[in-house]
Amino acid sequence: MENKKYISVYFDDEMPLLQAVGMLREKNENIIDVLTPFPIHGLDRALSIKRSRIPLVGFIFGALGAILGFGFQAWVFTVSYPLVFGGKPFFAVPSFIPITFECTVLFAAIAMVGTMLIKSKLKPDKRFVPVDENITDDMFVILIDAENEKTTLESVKSSLSGIQTVEIK
Amino acid sequence: MDEQFKFKKQYRNILIIAMAGGLLISVAAILVFKPGAPRIWANVLLNNQFFLGIALGAAFFLAVHRIAWSGWHTLLQRLPDSMTTFIPVAFILMLLIYFGMHDIYHWSYYEGHDAVLEGKKAWLNVPFFFIRLVFYFTGWITLTWLMRKNSNALISSSDIKYHNRRKIFAGLFLVFFAITVSTSSWDWIMSLEAHWYSTIFGWYVFIGMFVTSLAFIILLIWFLKRVGYMKYIRSDHVHDLSILLFAFSIFWTYLWFSQYLLIWYGHIPEETTYFIKRLENFRPIFYINPCLNFIIPFFTLISLKSKRNLDWVAIIASILLVGHWIDYYQMIMPAVAGDSSAIGVLEVSLTIFYTAMFILVVFRSLSNGPLIVKNDPFLEESMNYES
Repeated sequence: MENKKYISVYFDDEMPLLQAVGMLREKNENIIDVLTPFPIHGLDRALSIKRSRIPLVGFIFGALGAILGFGFQAWVFTVSYPLVFGGKPFFAVPSFIPITFECTVLFAAIAMVGTMLIKSKLKPDKRFVPVDENITDDMFVILIDAENEKTTLESVKSSLSGIQTVEIK
Repeated sequence: MDEQFKFKKQYRNILIIAMAGGLLISVAAILVFKPGAPRIWANVLLNNQFFLGIALGAAFFLAVHRIAWSGWHTLLQRLPDSMTTFIPVAFILMLLIYFGMHDIYHWSYYEGHDAVLEGKKAWLNVPFFFIRLVFYFTGWITLTWLMRKNSNALISSSDIKYHNRRKIFAGLFLVFFAITVSTSSWDWIMSLEAHWYSTIFGWYVFIGMFVTSLAFIILLIWFLKRVGYMKYIRSDHVHDLSILLFAFSIFWTYLWFSQYLLIWYGHIPEETTYFIKRLENFRPIFYINPCLNFIIPFFTLISLKSKRNLDWVAIIASILLVGHWIDYYQMIMPAVAGDSSAIGVLEVSLTIFYTAMFILVVFRSLSNGPLIVKNDPFLEESMNYES
């Protein structure tokens, strides 16, 4: 990112940003990233970003957690250490359900957070280098790839002429 | 914008024929099979409760969205609005229970000494039962009428005061409903087994109501879109309804299971009687209930694609409507009719009668005005809604 040449376009509102994304994509400009202070509805669609597969991870690990949680209790209370609780049978399914449920939630949640951290390469000593301090506050930024010949400051300015931008640099 | 649902003669005729047919077959079934008074009255109570639940759930849906300043539901708000017009009809039908009091509520006629029932006499006596019934319905009818009136006023006038007013009535309705939905379910269903009690019962019944009314709203949208109305309802709106349907099916299971788990664990005789009755004589019904109301919606609505597919969600919604009818069946029938109960001609035909009547009332009210509340301040947001 540091060595790459790029042009950043600043906005102070989400609506012109969404319009600009559409116009830039029409002109076949390569958008590296869009940085916003809060999530914007419809931005994923405008950038045609594929849907995240995190829910699938959640489902798989949730199912795994359910099986492990239930299996562990079944093993403990029938094979490893059978005890009589309140006159119930050893294999007392209803009493296993709450813990099975908790294991499902725990596995799904931890797996989803973990997958997200790994996929976005976040690790404890990761340093965040903001493109501009303002994007952490109230600015909306589009970063455009300027490696190729045809993308210049002028061409971007001209293609965004009708839109209310704060700064293009 | 001024699209209006036309209640065609054809629909009206089908519904009236279904009503008449259902009623005639029910009467015939009563005369031929002689099912006994408890079973007949239990059926009336079951269907009253089921369809009143759909109407009340719709009122709750509106109230909760209005008080939360929700925008997305604005386009479809006339549907739950017209569903609430069934509440006055349910009032009359519920009053009919007076003639069956002695057949289904054994606390109303017991002889001899019964310490438990005598202890509950302050609450469970026939005059107070009907005072409460009238009180609940007065509150529900008045508040839903006021919400509906102010909402419909926004069709012709753009005065924001109507919007603010219906928000106040929504808040009042929620407070009133929160208490009365619990007490009414104690009165009408839990007191069928007056010796038994469960503190979670009110919630359990209430969530069932909300799920059925969500399912009914989805089916209404499916029907209206099929015959060419409501083009503006997109998969984003369907998605949100399905999320609610999915989430509240899971919540229903949570309450269903909580009630079972605590009673199973505690193992106190006066509490376990409820489940012993159902597990001994109604075992298939007892197990079908969580399958229809939890396992099927859970696995069929879990993916995003299925939540956005209206045809698919409509199928699941109809399964859930059947499922919750069965849920009420297993609450009411084992307590009242016992061994004489079965899902036979009477059950089916009486439910068809009620269904046709409910749809007739809803369609009549829906066809009274445009499908969109034109001056709703959230209309724009709902039109451009993305989920």
